[in-house]
Amino acid sequence: MPDQTPHIRNFSIIAHIDHGKSTLADRLLQATNAVSAREARDQILDSMDLERERGITIKASAVTVMHRHKLGAKADDLEAEYEAPVDESGKHASKKGAPEEHGDLFMLNFIDTPGHVDFNYEVSRALKACEGAILVVDSTQGVQAQTLVNAYLAVNENLTIIPVINKIDLPGARPIDVAMEIEQTLGFRAEDCLLVSAKSGLGIPELLASICEKLPAPRAPVSDQLRALIFDAVYDDYRGVITYVRVFDGSLKLGDKIRMMGTGRTFQVTDLGKMTPKPVRVPSLGPGETGYVVAAIRTLKDVRIGDTVTLEHNPATEALPGYQPPRQMVFCDFYPATSDGGDAPDFEELREAVEKLSLNDSSFTFAPVHSEALGFGFRCGFLGLLHMDIIQERLEREGGVEIVQTAPTVSYHVLVRGTDTVVSPSGQTLKPVDPATGNATDIPPGHTLVDVHNPAELPNPSTIAQIREPICRLEVMVPQEYIGDIMKLCLDRRGTYKNQSMVSATRQLLTFEIPLAEIIYDFFDKMKGMTSGYGTMDYEVTGYRSDNLAKVDILINGDPVEALALICHREKSEQRGRALISRLKEQIPRHQFEIPLQAAIGGKVVARETIKAFRKNVIAKCYGGDVSRKRKLLDKQKEGKKRMKSVGSVTIPQEAFMAVLDQGD
Amino acid sequence: MHIPFCAHKCHYCDFYSLVDPRDRQGSFVDRLGRELHALAPWGRGASLATIFVGGGTPSLLPPFLWDRLLGVLHEAFDLTSLEEFSVECNPESVSPELFSTLVRGGVTRVSMGAQSFNPSHLKTLERRHSPGNAGRALAMARDAGIPRQSIDLIFGIPGQTLDDWKHDLDDALALGTEHLSCYNLTYEPGTAMTARLKRGEFTPADEDVEVEMFRITLSAARGAGLERYEVSNFAKPGAQCRHNLVYWRGGNWLAAGPSASGHINGHRWKNTPRLDDYLSIDRDGFAPVSEHETPDPGRALTERLMTGLRLSEGLERAWVVAQATALHAGAASGLARAIERQTALGFLETDPARLCLTDAGFLVGDSVILELAGALDL
Repeated sequence: MPDQTPHIRNFSIIAHIDHGKSTLADRLLQATNAVSAREARDQILDSMDLERERGITIKASAVTVMHRHKLGAKADDLEAEYEAPVDESGKHASKKGAPEEHGDLFMLNFIDTPGHVDFNYEVSRALKACEGAILVVDSTQGVQAQTLVNAYLAVNENLTIIPVINKIDLPGARPIDVAMEIEQTLGFRAEDCLLVSAKSGLGIPELLASICEKLPAPRAPVSDQLRALIFDAVYDDYRGVITYVRVFDGSLKLGDKIRMMGTGRTFQVTDLGKMTPKPVRVPSLGPGETGYVVAAIRTLKDVRIGDTVTLEHNPATEALPGYQPPRQMVFCDFYPATSDGGDAPDFEELREAVEKLSLNDSSFTFAPVHSEALGFGFRCGFLGLLHMDIIQERLEREGGVEIVQTAPTVSYHVLVRGTDTVVSPSGQTLKPVDPATGNATDIPPGHTLVDVHNPAELPNPSTIAQIREPICRLEVMVPQEYIGDIMKLCLDRRGTYKNQSMVSATRQLLTFEIPLAEIIYDFFDKMKGMTSGYGTMDYEVTGYRSDNLAKVDILINGDPVEALALICHREKSEQRGRALISRLKEQIPRHQFEIPLQAAIGGKVVARETIKAFRKNVIAKCYGGDVSRKRKLLDKQKEGKKRMKSVGSVTIPQEAFMAVLDQGD
Repeated sequence: MHIPFCAHKCHYCDFYSLVDPRDRQGSFVDRLGRELHALAPWGRGASLATIFVGGGTPSLLPPFLWDRLLGVLHEAFDLTSLEEFSVECNPESVSPELFSTLVRGGVTRVSMGAQSFNPSHLKTLERRHSPGNAGRALAMARDAGIPRQSIDLIFGIPGQTLDDWKHDLDDALALGTEHLSCYNLTYEPGTAMTARLKRGEFTPADEDVEVEMFRITLSAARGAGLERYEVSNFAKPGAQCRHNLVYWRGGNWLAAGPSASGHINGHRWKNTPRLDDYLSIDRDGFAPVSEHETPDPGRALTERLMTGLRLSEGLERAWVVAQATALHAGAASGLARAIERQTALGFLETDPARLCLTDAGFLVGDSVILELAGALDL
């Protein structure tokens, strides 16, 4: 007798970083025998080396497993031992007795999501493909800032949430307290929280039962026309773009000619399947199902995450709601590290690496840039700071290029008098702010609002009416005793206190409104430092606001270095300038001559320092003609110097360009 | 020739040496003899021009072993045109008998490791002789018939004042020496003294004081008729150490003994710095070699800049330009710009024929060499 049509459950696992989301995903795969224990590597769903190394998930993946469950079964009746593997044909083969004896067949589609704030957009689009979410909270750490932000995202998508308290096998576990925190902050009943150890497997059968019992089935299709939501896409060297979709209406078959409703582009489906987590080909995907689609799509640029797939010959009339372009909030320059004075080959290597990576990650932007100090490079835009770090590491690791990265800046909106095209000092046309972002508001008649994400490109100051900067809602969760310090830190950084609420008897959730520019340098480290590592934070950009901002130029030996220029609040310019040049003073080695360092606003010097010349630099003895040893020393110094960048006659180590980051005030 | 034995391993020293209770010195000399015989054909029949025996403490070898060693040397090599034969000595380990043995073997020059004439600084350096030893040892050598002498001094010793250094210079020059080596104390990686510095057990000399010491060294030497011919070496006219000039001028020399390095036409090699290996590994007399480099034009020019600029005579400008031009298109122009800059900063002389450091340039010599070598863009 054939298997009955399975019940479908689509869900995501969401958590604060390191709360064990990926381990839980692994355990679920293992418990449903999708992978054997032998096959199980840690964090199966994270396919990139980098993800495993950093213990975080960058790219969401979708996996389908089959599971049998007797609806209404009591906890004691759960068959912890009984699971059967899915065979090549997608059939669920039984090990003992007829499969039906073990309950109804469930198709569990789960979608692993990134845990970090930078990827909130990826999280929310993954959630759009689900009906439910498992919210994982570490029983030793309790509710953290990202727990809340992720839970809010799931609530906004009207998902049913199963709260899970993980790592209950650890000696420091305090599940009762954490359950109370969950009740206090999120309103779930403490007794509804499932206690789990993803590591030991404790509580996994109950969780699987709960997924089948509590999470809703997909909604019924509303029409026969295909509507499938693209919730992820990855690039594969051999097959091109692999798109992950969730079918809502109609069905998708191998060979179908599909159309992307947002872009209007059409493709032929050449492969269709599910990850189990091994890829398994299927003839079609029906309503409520998730799977992958291969359709000879050459680059990720041809696919918009959030777009709706329909059929070319029988198209749906209306797309599913969901598409939003990813917003790059943080920008910095990447230059090839070994290049001295902009050698072409190194730049070409960087270009190749950047282009290749963009096939894999469509959410960062890049444009060629030239700097006097650093030669040719790229101005890149990222979703956030972590995203920036990850891209840099991937370029170095996968692209084999060494990179000098400049200090990150946010994207400013500059209101300029006049309606002519606005150009930067280097003659580049500055793009007007895209009305689609919802931030092109309050533009008085006779003015233009342009996007500036490089301090060097700030237009002529006399034409500037306003500089607007991104403002965030920042949530910081800290133990009671650190509230004063965090308040002071946020107020120092131009933050406005908004709200305070209790998480537990000892911890508080503080909400602030704060410029993004104030949290992109060393804020996280400071917050961690002053809370002994117990504080957690998350932020979300909510809009733009004008403030008294100015460009601070940094001059080394009299030469302005654009790569070090920064935009900051006028009242803080002296402090920022001073802090920056003192850091530079530590970073730049002494030279054969004295080097003045200055910070200036519009020609007015606000801070200065001097790096003294070294007075003595000579090896006293070179014994017995052992020339090789000294020459190797010289070669090492030469190599070190090659990795530095020249500004006029001053060589500057690459770290100095990151000095803006580390204010150390 | 490297004699690796010492009576005590001074904590600032990073040369290969070991304290040996004399039981391996005999077999060492025999082993060295076999190496010298093996090396002899490499002299290609040419007679040796200079010999330098360093260490370690060569004067620690007893006279009968020196006798054996010198015998082998004469057997293996043609020494008829030998111009200079130097041996390093420590003031506390010499005797009239040793010197007469050396004279008989053709030694013409001793380099005396006085280091300081101040008892407390000698103690800081862990040197075991007393201030008067050096003078007595030099007189002994002269009496034995060794005509040429040099004194080694160290400055920048922790606790040493400018006045202390002046006194050391005066004391050395008062001995009427024709050659003076004044080394600024450096903290070499891996030495006991460097470890103690890192642990904060003492305060190193102030950089400004050391600069001043460099300055007064130059003026005191000049006052006594000694001119600087190398970063740390001063000599009366004609009294330069010719063997050392071979190193700085890129000449050819053989090497014998553990850790000794040799150079022939761009090939450089270094014997393994380990007595056990040296004694036990014997390939037709040759010593085990731990490093070997083959000629490479870019490296050769870098080395010539590095060694040649340490000499007051510097390098022939036209030769340097020709070598750079032969390397690649950008090398000569890059080097020309770097030379121009270093000259403008006052670190290179404007002499149209020679490329050489100024007095100010000597103080920052390594950085000048780095700028020039870096400009070759290899």
